[in-house]
Amino acid sequence: MKNNSLVFPKKLYFFMLPALALFVVFWVVPIFQLFYYSVTDFNGVNYDYNFVGFDNFKILFSEGTLVNSIKNTLIYALLVVVGTNILGLAVAMALNTKLRGKTFFRTCSFMPALFSAIVVGFIWSYVYMPGSGMISSIIDLFGGDGSNVNLIGGFNTALIAIIIVDIWKGFGTTMIIYLAGLQTVDESLIEAGRIDGCSTWKLFTKVKLPLISSTITINIILNVIAGLKAFDYSFIMTNGGPGKATNTLMYTIYKIAFKDQMMGKASALSVVSFIVIIAITIFMLRLLNKKEVEM
Amino acid sequence: MIKMKRLAALGLAGVMSLGLLTMAGCDNSGNENGNGGSDGDITITMMYSGTAAENDFETEVLPDLVHEAFPNITLEVTKLPDDQYYTALKTKLASGECPDIILVQPMYAGANSVFGLAEAGYLEPLTDMKAIELSGVGASSFTYNGEVYGIPSGVTMLGTYYNADMLAKYNLAVPTTWDEFLNVCKTLKDNGITPIVMGDKDMFVMQFGLYQIACSEIYAANPDYDKQLRTGETKFNDEGTWDKVLSMYTTLYDNGYIDSSSLGLGSAQAIQKFIDGEAAMIFDGSFDYAAVVDAKGAVDFTRGYFPLPASNGDTYAAMAPGAGPAIYSGSQYKDECKAILEMLYDGESDMYKAYVDSGRIIPTYGYGYDQVNPIYDKFMSLYEEGKAFYWCNQAWPAGTEEEMESKLSEYIGKQGTTVNDITKAMQAKFDELLAASK
Amino acid sequence: MKKNKKEKVYKEVESYSKFTWKTLLLYIVLAAFCVIIIAPLVIVLSSSFRDPSNMTSPLKLFSQFTFESYAQAFSRMKYPKELLNSIITTAGSVAVVVFISSMAAYPISRVISKWSKAFYYFFIAGLVIPAQMVIVPIAQNFGRFGIPNSRFTPMIMFITCSLPFSVFLYAGFMKSVPKEIEEAAFLDGAGVIRRYFSVVFPLLKPATVSVIITQGMWIWNDYFFPMVFVSKSDQYSLPVGMLQFLGDSQNPAQWNVLFASCVLSAIPLIIVFAVMQKQFINGIAAGAVKG
Repeated sequence: MKNNSLVFPKKLYFFMLPALALFVVFWVVPIFQLFYYSVTDFNGVNYDYNFVGFDNFKILFSEGTLVNSIKNTLIYALLVVVGTNILGLAVAMALNTKLRGKTFFRTCSFMPALFSAIVVGFIWSYVYMPGSGMISSIIDLFGGDGSNVNLIGGFNTALIAIIIVDIWKGFGTTMIIYLAGLQTVDESLIEAGRIDGCSTWKLFTKVKLPLISSTITINIILNVIAGLKAFDYSFIMTNGGPGKATNTLMYTIYKIAFKDQMMGKASALSVVSFIVIIAITIFMLRLLNKKEVEM
Repeated sequence: MIKMKRLAALGLAGVMSLGLLTMAGCDNSGNENGNGGSDGDITITMMYSGTAAENDFETEVLPDLVHEAFPNITLEVTKLPDDQYYTALKTKLASGECPDIILVQPMYAGANSVFGLAEAGYLEPLTDMKAIELSGVGASSFTYNGEVYGIPSGVTMLGTYYNADMLAKYNLAVPTTWDEFLNVCKTLKDNGITPIVMGDKDMFVMQFGLYQIACSEIYAANPDYDKQLRTGETKFNDEGTWDKVLSMYTTLYDNGYIDSSSLGLGSAQAIQKFIDGEAAMIFDGSFDYAAVVDAKGAVDFTRGYFPLPASNGDTYAAMAPGAGPAIYSGSQYKDECKAILEMLYDGESDMYKAYVDSGRIIPTYGYGYDQVNPIYDKFMSLYEEGKAFYWCNQAWPAGTEEEMESKLSEYIGKQGTTVNDITKAMQAKFDELLAASK
Repeated sequence: MKKNKKEKVYKEVESYSKFTWKTLLLYIVLAAFCVIIIAPLVIVLSSSFRDPSNMTSPLKLFSQFTFESYAQAFSRMKYPKELLNSIITTAGSVAVVVFISSMAAYPISRVISKWSKAFYYFFIAGLVIPAQMVIVPIAQNFGRFGIPNSRFTPMIMFITCSLPFSVFLYAGFMKSVPKEIEEAAFLDGAGVIRRYFSVVFPLLKPATVSVIITQGMWIWNDYFFPMVFVSKSDQYSLPVGMLQFLGDSQNPAQWNVLFASCVLSAIPLIIVFAVMQKQFINGIAAGAVKG
């Protein structure tokens, strides 16, 4: 122990200085400023603002903005996590066999991850376009009436439509992490299970999944965080519409801050989102860690 | 050996990070001392909203003309799409790095409204400029507390572009009353033609139709309607005002004159459908003239443009002074900026002529005023009669129209929202925003 | 351990599974799946080779080959300039991130103290905050420090935002690096700085690759910070250039040109991926190490 602290003395903390300085100045301090603005009526440009107590929070609760955007965000995060992980794990399992052309399939799945969100937004705006977009054209090709299919413009489908885009772009990355996890699984354990007479499903749930539980945790946590921060496709593809159907927390904050010009109210919503995101992340981590131990 | 390589790579990274900071610093001093000190050479920055077209006036033509007229001045122009422009402007103001010349909208319109920015002290008063004098009545929309803070760029209008060949084919005349207009739509629809196409996925386009109706139905009767909104004398949910406007507009959806799949179309896609001859009409502004009229689509046809007619036939047009330049109060080069803008708006210089010829503005004085594009004739005669009103959102706190749009799209998407729900929501948003801006 | 893994990979390449109905089914499912996944990309590619005015029946793939759309997209985007800007921004940011985040992770995973744990969570907590939320206060801080808008301003934010994940990766990886080597170096009388750069950092190569790949990819593709913090259009990076097509009413829905720009803006990363596929896969997979 003593030897350790000689080799690794506390002065090693100096190594952290550059990162810490940047992080504090351009990330932590602004976040605290946000907390401060949340109790003012700052409009983002005029520094002659007033202290308004918790009015911003009260308005957010009473007008339903909060409930709507949290609801949308939770649906978004949940579906992205489920979709990305199931798809990613399924493809990873399929590719973790002795298959010819594995690299090709892997490349196909990963390809969308290479495109920037803005390009993806353009591509899918075209895919979803009613009338002459890709989906409509394909339906026309099979004799249907494609002009009535309007996923991105429908109140009940728009959120799902942008979630699909997110899954399309993201599952390849998740798949690669699963693939790496699966490759560490010791084949002899599976063999042992098989000899003991386990069914394929049982082998999967009782042997394979527990063995890659830490990979599952990391994938779920990364996707939960990404899902809760959803902004890009509401911004690029739908402008939060139709109506408020695709207003996620982050998009709502952006809209309140930059269009309604109510920085104070936007900050209040940021503070709430901050608490929501941290709470959900910690809850998920706890839950998954417990599961991991149990498994 | 490998170790050495690694060390060298690390050293390089270190140098880069240091360099990054110092270079950032250098750039700073460079800007402030007028770029490298060769006597009096300066760079003026300018930021506009919109997208740069080919041979764009602001980003390509103007910098050259400025350099010709003022050899020591380099003009750097950037253009961003509207939403991105608002975001960039706000962060640049927050960091004290605002461009010297920025685009501001009349009165309270948008996040770059001249009133909002002037109140916060970000704009330089331009009251004594000659360009302001020339612009006449337009300047009043840029006047805050007795000082003028922005230069109106001609006049812009909202109207209805139509496919003249299609109307002619069914013997339809340009409508002069609302009922005639509905009849035109009905005839077209009965003949299997989509009467109107709108890109409602970009919700702002809903304003294009609504404000045309509002001018004739609300302001014609009560020009002070918006002022009274601010004092509380009038409300959005007063009977016969916005409920009337909205029910007239929603009729178009109820009868299928505007396809409800419009919620999945972007504004550019809607314009494309119009110029491809897939729909007979589109509500849009004169600012989209190039895209709607000049652009070539799948079929060739003649375009026309008319203001949506009033229900009683006494039509007023939705016309407003165009968004124009303002000077950032923190600019180092206010005089130089003023000199450039004086020339750009003097009514006779080559710069002004190039501006007018680019089709970016419809002039209200000087060169080109007497030969305004004939497609605007109906509007210009209304304008001269004084039968024109500004666009509604210019008098509302920014954000009110967004509430209107998102509620209206709920109506279009058949979410059970009624016209009264829309006006009520508009009033609530208006009250909230007004209280916040006080 | 490492050797063992290599052998395994080798073996897999050698022995493909025998052809059975089950594998055939798997092939069919996978192939169908891949068709669905890349269908949008194929249509985009095929349409981008058409005349800007020919947009009819997009499902007839590769029916026309002209580079007209590309010529237009190329000049409208100012492609070479934007490409160069993207390269400068990404390379510069990633270099600094690797440098300072590995340094920050070092004491966190080595010094035994409650502070190390606190710092670790402090950095990781930054992962959950999205940039859109804090952009105005960040801009105010730039103003306070007198940092002007330039191509370097977004880089500062890229570096800052990359810190949480990079520190997390490095700290996780460092735990698996045996301390004995360092102890030996210590006994040889090497100072901390030399010890870190000549002994520790080289051992972190897999983590470094991972940071370069994961952070490089998002920095390359991000449009938000450059959009907000760059003032001059000749300093725009590729994604910001693409933003110019958003709501472009001057050229309504010129899909072919837009698609050509999409291809142009994606191609550099695709080439890099094709060349360094192994590094990409390993780099991303290293995200699976749990801290």
